[in-house]
Amino acid sequence: MSPSILGVDGLSVRYGDARAVDRVSFTLEKGRCLAVLGANGAGKSSLAAAIAGVVPPASGRVTFDGDDVTGWRSHRLARRGMAYVPEGRGLFPHLEVLDNLRVMLRGAVAPSERPAALDRCFELFPVLGERRRQAAGTLSGGEQQMLALARVLAAPPRLLVADEMSLGLAPRMVDTVFDVVRRARAQGVTVLLVEQYVERALALADDVIVMRRGEIAWQGPAAGAREQLVTGYLGGAAGQ
Amino acid sequence: MSAYLVGGLVLGGIYAIATVGLVLTYRSSRVFNFAHGAIAYFLAITFHWLAVDQGWPRLTAGLFTILVAGPVLGVILWAVLFRRLAHAPASVRLVSTVGLWVALPPIARVVYGHREIFDRLGMGPSPARTWKITGVVVDSNQIAVLVSALVVAALLAVLLRTTAWGLSVRATVDNPMMAGIAGIDTERVTAGAWMLGVALAGLAGVLLAPLRGYQDFQFTLLVIAAFAAVVIARMSSLVLAFGGSILIGMLQSLSQSKQAEDLLTHILPKDSIILKGLVPSIPFVLMLVFLLLYRGLAREQFLVDERAGDAVPLDPVVGDRSLFRRLAPLAVLLAVVVALPYLVSGLWQAVVAKGLALSIAFLSYTVVTGEGGMISLCQVTFAGIAGALTARFATGAGMATLPAVLLAALIVVPFGLLVALPSLRLGDLYLALATLAFAELVENMYFQLQSVNQFDSGVAVPRPRIGPIGFSGDRAFYYLLVVLFAVVALLVVNVRRSTTGLTLAAVRSSEPAAATLGISIIRAKLVAFGLSAFIAGLGGGLYVTYAQRSLPYVSFNALIGIVWLAVVVTWGIRSVPGALLAGLSFAVIPHFFSEHFSGGWLELPTMLFGLGAIGLARRPRGIVHDVTHRRRQRAAARATAAKVAT
Repeated sequence: MSPSILGVDGLSVRYGDARAVDRVSFTLEKGRCLAVLGANGAGKSSLAAAIAGVVPPASGRVTFDGDDVTGWRSHRLARRGMAYVPEGRGLFPHLEVLDNLRVMLRGAVAPSERPAALDRCFELFPVLGERRRQAAGTLSGGEQQMLALARVLAAPPRLLVADEMSLGLAPRMVDTVFDVVRRARAQGVTVLLVEQYVERALALADDVIVMRRGEIAWQGPAAGAREQLVTGYLGGAAGQ
Repeated sequence: MSAYLVGGLVLGGIYAIATVGLVLTYRSSRVFNFAHGAIAYFLAITFHWLAVDQGWPRLTAGLFTILVAGPVLGVILWAVLFRRLAHAPASVRLVSTVGLWVALPPIARVVYGHREIFDRLGMGPSPARTWKITGVVVDSNQIAVLVSALVVAALLAVLLRTTAWGLSVRATVDNPMMAGIAGIDTERVTAGAWMLGVALAGLAGVLLAPLRGYQDFQFTLLVIAAFAAVVIARMSSLVLAFGGSILIGMLQSLSQSKQAEDLLTHILPKDSIILKGLVPSIPFVLMLVFLLLYRGLAREQFLVDERAGDAVPLDPVVGDRSLFRRLAPLAVLLAVVVALPYLVSGLWQAVVAKGLALSIAFLSYTVVTGEGGMISLCQVTFAGIAGALTARFATGAGMATLPAVLLAALIVVPFGLLVALPSLRLGDLYLALATLAFAELVENMYFQLQSVNQFDSGVAVPRPRIGPIGFSGDRAFYYLLVVLFAVVALLVVNVRRSTTGLTLAAVRSSEPAAATLGISIIRAKLVAFGLSAFIAGLGGGLYVTYAQRSLPYVSFNALIGIVWLAVVVTWGIRSVPGALLAGLSFAVIPHFFSEHFSGGWLELPTMLFGLGAIGLARRPRGIVHDVTHRRRQRAAARATAAKVAT
């Protein structure tokens, strides 16, 4: 058994009196891909945000790469090799494309390797090179998502936590985004994928967690997840 | 003429240094620092203390103040206050730094020994060396300003554009959450911005002192000009902030030139108020002009509050408390208020009467800020205008005093609406700045008018009579005020319970949600603002009736208004007893100190009021709420324990 890179133990997230995530536990082994599925409001995004240090957990423990990182703020986790792509566009809308990449690579790569990583971003997504002087907020939705994901391929993190990357994208762009994750996996990146496209997520993931009302409702290998999902947990909301 | 150009450039240069510091801290932390000028004052005094009292070489003292004391003060203020504020509701963010503005000057005077500073020592040679460059005389202090402004501009441009730290700052400003995700320690970036911003305030202060002296109002004028420049820069552009500052400095300087004076005296009547108040009013006029200009542009940029909805939670329903328990504390308070004139004697009867008149004015905050959720810095001005009008009607036109008070308060209402209308759409911060601008404008223009000011002796106001009953004695007048306070308090409570009150509560807790329900946000806010102007006007009229004299320049200047706000939020902005206690303490505490202490101790009340407002960051609902709430919580805990036991 390969060592676990992420351990979540009894993690809860609260917003005031509302409980968004309720005592969730799981482990994610190195090199594997875990998809977190569930209906709107099930607590998927809150779980991802708590793991990435953006939202403080109310209770529970998170371990990352052997360290207890509970309560760490996001920048420390980023420097330890966790890449989090938040829901919506994870970028700086008023900064130039080039500055966006420089900021994102700074936490991810040693100074001497940054120029090379920057070049790789432009090789992977030539359109970013063409628009390097343009404010990121003026790019199209698909281009913005490329910008947000470019660093994942140019400087592979130890763990990618991706929250609803495909949200609001054209079908063709959704393909591109999933392709990025596939290529990242090929490079050995461990992935935690929060998704709404169940079919695509199942095609990509090794394991699946289904959340309902903040709790884990089902957990198991992706291969056997389809029927569980459709019949038991998502009801009519399942599928594409 | 060219001497005025140089003078304007120098003044503008100082403004620019202060303004970019203000923009930098606001952008990186979303906390608008009303205390920026007070910080400049504090650091200028620090410099003076080091150079004169400690005998440091002046240049060393100056560099130490700017490069060490400034950043240290910045990081301390950040750690203690601003850091906490970043996640507070907008109104708390505003009021806390207003509290710092109130508290810092007295703290400076206590820390560095209470004394007036009459010299104008700066970092440079004293007396200043002068040069004649193409016919214009320039002295070393002016050159220091010009060089500093250029260095600051160049340094900031290089820092922000080319360095790694600059990129971190720009990323943090653009999207703080994403900056953290990308590995930037945003708290450290923000702390750094505060260190730099406060150092820039110190630089502006140390440069200003040799030109204008060390009186604290000079630093208020400095920061007011900076506020105007910040509005011109729309809170964000450093380039516009720089340009706006130079523009304000230039206009102020040029309007003092012989040519401008000749021109103005040609157009305007002699001794016109416009001529008298022109120079200090330029920043406000510019601020109002640009607010109107920007109102049409990019509305959404101002309107969207990223934390709309988390402002003030609706009050919990008071269900299980009996009527007796709810009314008992109020009854005790009422009994104390009624008995008060018999508990104290002589001069103290006048003091409590003054406090009660102020309490009525303070109820206007309960409406505009407590219910309406808006920070107004010109309630004091409404009170002052109404006070002056009361005096004019009662003494000039021979009206009976109480009808005069009522009429004056009614006349103030349209003024309130006029101030609120252009800025309401722009959001909390712009409303606060516009109301401050209005307060300063009225103070410099109307309150200075010969017929209002009467060579600093003011206009007399007779105490009222109702039929055979006269209220000329302090005790009798006090009881009249008790009755009037009760009437206004009932009005306020009724507004809270009315549909208007519910509307305001909805708007306060989430503007977007209220708007989608079809509630007219602007109309609800205008109602609150107009009513608050009326109440402030009543309070002002009654205050001058208590004092038997209207001298608004002294009693109702903008800075007093800042302290008013600090006192009211300390006791509780949503609470009627809070307004009552705030008014009484505003009158009683300083009087107590003046009777029993002297020297630096006299600064203590103001300091306490300011610190109280700063404490808002910890307990946003004020003392009254906390005390009653704690008791309520204890009672609830006891009830639960009893249930468990049985």
